[in-house]
Amino acid sequence: MKNEEKEFYPDYLAEILLIVFIALEVTIVLALVYPQGIGRQINFSTPYRPLPEWYFLWLYQIVRYFPGRWAFVGTILLPVTAVLILIFIPYIDRGKRGRLKAILAGLILLLSFLIFTLLPALNP
Amino acid sequence: MSQISISHRSPYKLSRGHKMVRRTFLKKTIKLFFFVVSSISISVFFLFSYPWKIRKKELTFFYVTDEDMLPVKGVRQVSIEYSRYSRPMRTKAYIVNTGSELFALSPVCSHLGCLVNWNWPRKRFLCPCHGGQYDITGNVIKGPPPAPLSRLPMKIDKEKVYIGLRV
Amino acid sequence: MGEIFDWIDNRFGIRQPHRKFLHRDIPEGVNYSFCLGGAALVCFIMLFLSGIMLSIYYVPSETEAFNSIVRINNEVRLGWFIRSFHKWSSNLLIISIILHTIRVFIYKAYRSPRELNWVAGSLTLVIVFASGFTGYLLPWDQKAYWATEVGTSMAKTIPIIGKYLLYLVRGGEDVTGTTLIRFYAMHIIYLPSCLFILLWAHFHMVRKQGIKGGL
Repeated sequence: MKNEEKEFYPDYLAEILLIVFIALEVTIVLALVYPQGIGRQINFSTPYRPLPEWYFLWLYQIVRYFPGRWAFVGTILLPVTAVLILIFIPYIDRGKRGRLKAILAGLILLLSFLIFTLLPALNP
Repeated sequence: MSQISISHRSPYKLSRGHKMVRRTFLKKTIKLFFFVVSSISISVFFLFSYPWKIRKKELTFFYVTDEDMLPVKGVRQVSIEYSRYSRPMRTKAYIVNTGSELFALSPVCSHLGCLVNWNWPRKRFLCPCHGGQYDITGNVIKGPPPAPLSRLPMKIDKEKVYIGLRV
Repeated sequence: MGEIFDWIDNRFGIRQPHRKFLHRDIPEGVNYSFCLGGAALVCFIMLFLSGIMLSIYYVPSETEAFNSIVRINNEVRLGWFIRSFHKWSSNLLIISIILHTIRVFIYKAYRSPRELNWVAGSLTLVIVFASGFTGYLLPWDQKAYWATEVGTSMAKTIPIIGKYLLYLVRGGEDVTGTTLIRFYAMHIIYLPSCLFILLWAHFHMVRKQGIKGGL
């Protein structure tokens, strides 16, 4: 990849366009194969089980674990903490064994995201 | 460099000490300006976007069913039709007869507002969202809900049953 | 083609500054996983374009929102496709941002002097999630309504200020047309503007600090 003679045009532009092409292609194929359906009209008298979009399934799962007065831990405290950890990862990676701490924090975030997404997705 | 040239042209011939005082004053004023303007705009945004009035909900009674259709022992789901902004809306409620007591339960889960369903074989109300479970009187058996299902006012008038809703 | 472009460029002068902007040193150890950020940008552009197309037909009102979605799907030429395209590119955007974050983490590219760029990137991730949430209500169907009912009820669980926060988010006590317009404005104006500023900062810092090379 590394090359002094490589110019933006046409070398890198070709590679960029390859990525653009792949992203476009994947989206178009997915949109053609799995088009968005129309939902049902709002009705308060039929039983309905709402599921969030897949990237919010983790939140859907963790609010189950905090009953009663502690509900705010699952709904606000944990998500906000997770976001703060994500933002402050460069500052966790400081001093001795900084990288280790950062890897630990990152792994906790990633694994909890994966686990709590997969739990409701696998056994609804 | 430019500072010197300005001071030469300045008609006031400020001494160096005076100039520093003036410049720190200007700097502070500029910071204050940005601080005041941004805090005012942020507060204006929140004042503007906060709902100007929370509509008082009035308790209204809706006819749901006749008296002889009430459950002898058990739970019956009734649907209530009302209108909001002149659009027909339909919601549901549960009428419960435990044998000793007759009352109406709101289906709104006290956790995060989903509508619970009566599960006849298991004799409990199940919330489809986060696994809350209530017994026949609306008390929490299992799951995250913080409070029991709320009871709705119900009255029977001339063999017709009315349930009160806040709309 | 080339001659016309040269003629325009002689007068307009776009080539020189842009070449400076686009030309950058590519360090050793760069591979195709470095394209994930670019893929996310492509997804964002696709979302933006399909979104401004959808905004022509979508009506953000309690009575009309669902009907306008039905109209887009059934009557508008290629409407179903643009809608699915918008949906799928949002999913791909989130996947590619998450993968891009993991890639940056593995390559230690968040370390000094690039901390601020990591912060800008994480804020972008948060705003993209918020866009996903606000966009979910817009079809105004069962799924949208209940997801929003549950999602906004979460604000109520905060002690003391929860109730007022709920009123602020919903624009009232219940999820109604007011909430829909609020979410619509967030989805099409507020959040994309924040995203534009953040992405500009992100790319500016990538340019200024250079690309972090291999491990």
